[in-house]
Amino acid sequence: MSFPDAAELRNRPGVIFAALTLVAVLGFAGVTRLTKRYHDQQKAVARRLYARGLDDQKEGQFDNAISDFRAALSYDRDNFYYELSLARALRDNGRMNEAEAYLVNLWERTPQDGFVNLALGRLAARQSKIDKAIQYYHNAIYGVWPSNAENNRRTAEFELIAFLLRQGAQSQAEAELIAVAATLPPDDVILQTHVAQLLAQVGMHDRALALFKKVLQEDRSSKPALDGAANSAFELGHYRSAEGYLRRSLALDPHNEQNRDLLETITLVLEMDPYDRRLSTVGRIRRLRAAFDVASKRLSVCLADKQGVPDTPWTALQANWMQMKGKLSHLTDADAETFDAAMDLINQIEQHAQLDCGPPARTDRALLLLSATRFGAER
Amino acid sequence: MSNRSPISIALTAESPTETQELTKSISREERFFLVLAVFIGVFAGLGVVCFRLFIEWNRIGFLGSLPQAGDWRLLVAPTAIGILVALLVMYAFPQVRGSGVNQTKAALYIYNGYIPFRTAMGKFITAALAIGSGQSLGPEDPSLQIGASLASALGRRFHLSRERLRLLAPVGAAAGLAAAFNAPISAVLFVIEEVIGRWSAGILGSVVLSAISSVVVVRWFLGSEPLFRIPAVGLVRPSELIAYAVLGIVGGLAATFFAKAIGYFRPRLRSWPQWTQYIQIPLAGFLIGMIGFLGAPQVMGAGYEYMDQAMHDQFPWKMLAFLAILKIVATALSFVCGTPGGMFAPTLFVGAMLGGAIGGIERIFYPNLTGSTATYALVGMGVLFAGFLRAPMTSVFMVLEVSGNYSIIVPVIVANTFAYVISRNLQPTPIFDLLTRQDGLDLPSMEEQREERILRVEDAMQTPAAPILDSEETVKRANNRIQGSDGDLFLVRLHPSGWTSLNRDLLKRLIGEGKSEDTLASALPTERLPYLHPDLPLEMALRYIYQSPLVPVISRADFRKLEGVISREAVLGKYRVAEIDSESDGRFELS
Repeated sequence: MSFPDAAELRNRPGVIFAALTLVAVLGFAGVTRLTKRYHDQQKAVARRLYARGLDDQKEGQFDNAISDFRAALSYDRDNFYYELSLARALRDNGRMNEAEAYLVNLWERTPQDGFVNLALGRLAARQSKIDKAIQYYHNAIYGVWPSNAENNRRTAEFELIAFLLRQGAQSQAEAELIAVAATLPPDDVILQTHVAQLLAQVGMHDRALALFKKVLQEDRSSKPALDGAANSAFELGHYRSAEGYLRRSLALDPHNEQNRDLLETITLVLEMDPYDRRLSTVGRIRRLRAAFDVASKRLSVCLADKQGVPDTPWTALQANWMQMKGKLSHLTDADAETFDAAMDLINQIEQHAQLDCGPPARTDRALLLLSATRFGAER
Repeated sequence: MSNRSPISIALTAESPTETQELTKSISREERFFLVLAVFIGVFAGLGVVCFRLFIEWNRIGFLGSLPQAGDWRLLVAPTAIGILVALLVMYAFPQVRGSGVNQTKAALYIYNGYIPFRTAMGKFITAALAIGSGQSLGPEDPSLQIGASLASALGRRFHLSRERLRLLAPVGAAAGLAAAFNAPISAVLFVIEEVIGRWSAGILGSVVLSAISSVVVVRWFLGSEPLFRIPAVGLVRPSELIAYAVLGIVGGLAATFFAKAIGYFRPRLRSWPQWTQYIQIPLAGFLIGMIGFLGAPQVMGAGYEYMDQAMHDQFPWKMLAFLAILKIVATALSFVCGTPGGMFAPTLFVGAMLGGAIGGIERIFYPNLTGSTATYALVGMGVLFAGFLRAPMTSVFMVLEVSGNYSIIVPVIVANTFAYVISRNLQPTPIFDLLTRQDGLDLPSMEEQREERILRVEDAMQTPAAPILDSEETVKRANNRIQGSDGDLFLVRLHPSGWTSLNRDLLKRLIGEGKSEDTLASALPTERLPYLHPDLPLEMALRYIYQSPLVPVISRADFRKLEGVISREAVLGKYRVAEIDSESDGRFELS
């Protein structure tokens, strides 16, 4: 290329700059081709290393996998999946700080990404950082997922709940469960059953029972739903309902010892319940006396154990028992006050006996359950 | 229009028309120079992109995509390619040895900005081969020289004036370095600190323009990602500055050792018989390859990816310390043999590893330290930069630029200051100046400029012995006032401001002419004296002391207030004293 001399240069800078621009454009074109080839080659090397890393990971060679993922990332620095895989491999290998550095880097690039937030949530969960875990899991639940969004969100929701339960964060777990239950798809009985089981696990038996019932409307023979419903009904003191669910469950699985045992307890509770509305007054009084006899036996055993120990509550209980025994001998149907006082005393005896005299027998347990149901209903 | 250059016009301009022509011509050439700086940046950027691609292709081709210890290629490649590089350096491109910073500086100060284009080509090929094959050197300094060489070639093509051609070298150098490091501010500062060696606002605009345009080109092709992916860094507790100060001290010692090793071995290897030149580079390659083969492939090449990994806690502190030591050895081996390649990347590598290691050790003793490995590694980079390359301004801005986090500035400044002071005391001559002097040259250094003693007007200023006259005084009264004094020349304060002088003979003549009752203002000629302020450099006084034997030194706050006077004898006397002092103390230069 021929360039003008200094004089022309000063006279015709436009021509000079046009020529320089032309050379620059040609340079750009040439370098563009070179860089395209370079980037293609780099990406190919990165793909190969990434594939090798995945193989290493499958074979349990985590250190090699990390090395490969890292090398892959050095050849394709913007690749989201390489960086995410590297971060996950580091996390799974217990190298939390490194994993966090990469994940935070990814998060800064794509703060709404579901994968990244879920990975960060899991990392925070492994580090027992509750607030951070909740934050990242929530980001994952409400974040963007390129595919299979619904399932991934559910996974994040259940992982968060499981983490909170493990951490003993009961109230936060309950809040998450209520939110999950409100958005359940109506036709997914498996998911509904799972959520109902979790609700039961955190003690929200009324919500759990409602959900189990919903499942049973869709699928009458769902054994997990029957078991769950029976358990929740039992916990709520709805023994008649619990008995019905248990019988249906045992019809499906007659050898389930746990259910059978629970059914026996429930049957006993129902048989001993003096408040059963279907009973006549005579029947109610008879049941009260039977319950009093059970409590009396428990009391006598406990008194024998505690003989010689001064100032125990048993002394007062014994005095009350003596007094009540006399009243019960001529109890009439009009004396509801004595009826309730007798039941209160039975409850006190059983409660103290449970603390001081070892585990209750089946009948004593039935009385305790009846008392719990009665006080629960009164509350 | 005339073909004369602005300078020739300036020398001969006599009429207003010619003066206007001169002004226009200068302005046009300045604009041309600024636009040319942009093009230099673009071309340097393109060149550096190609250079980086070439290095990377070489690296994958010679060492494989994932160099690992035990791979025989780590031994063979640097040795075999070393032979080729040695032959190229000896027979084809003898000017491409070493980093390129000194050669660029020499071009600026000795060869009027002339850098043969052949040098750029040679540097491109040999440095890419050397670095790609695993020699422990970096691409930044060669990029700087390639940029300067491109700029010089362009300037020569356009037959620019010698003055402009000289200025083009740093413009191209800044562009090349900025492109290689993807950090324009650091590049500009480095060129000012190390290449130009003086703070000169004259070409700052061109240097900045070229640096920015080259970075834009590099980011266009290679992306705008910074060199390192920096995790969150910062300073939580000010008390932790002590930990960074310790890093600065250790870094200063390491930098001194690094510089002394190079300074000691380089001239000795160069003095070996000529035939050893054939084997020095391959032998260095073999030894570095051996280090890689036996377990530390991280020290081979520039090593940016390993710095990145160090910042992400990939290496335990023992490994970091080990890598820092090995890198110093490997880089010294490569460099003292004259292998073409730069010191920038190895310095950063050593700094990052050393910083990470010191941080790791400190955390063992003080587990509550909150600084992450990345923070220590980053500060370590700055520390080595300040201690080894002795570019303190660049070292601070470089860390800020690569981290993008200004909260780290205080630890960086603290650590860098310690490193710089220690290195300055233990190794008085900066590494680039040392290399220059080993090559038999003496080029200006910013460090010397920073530390040189500057004489100011106040140093030579004297209290006036004779009375100061006022222009409102009568001639008679003035004559009476000077009767008791010995001097012959007297300063006269004019109204409302300004100064002039008169001598005894003039006063006598005025009285003889019957002007005794006239004021001095009406009787004296209107010519005013030049004046100085106390803080001005003494060399300013040199311009005036031959116009007037007595120059008033006045206050900047009140131009009528006389602080003192400067005389020819006092100025020359001060310079004579300073010269004697400099002979006993060391170096002395005019500011």
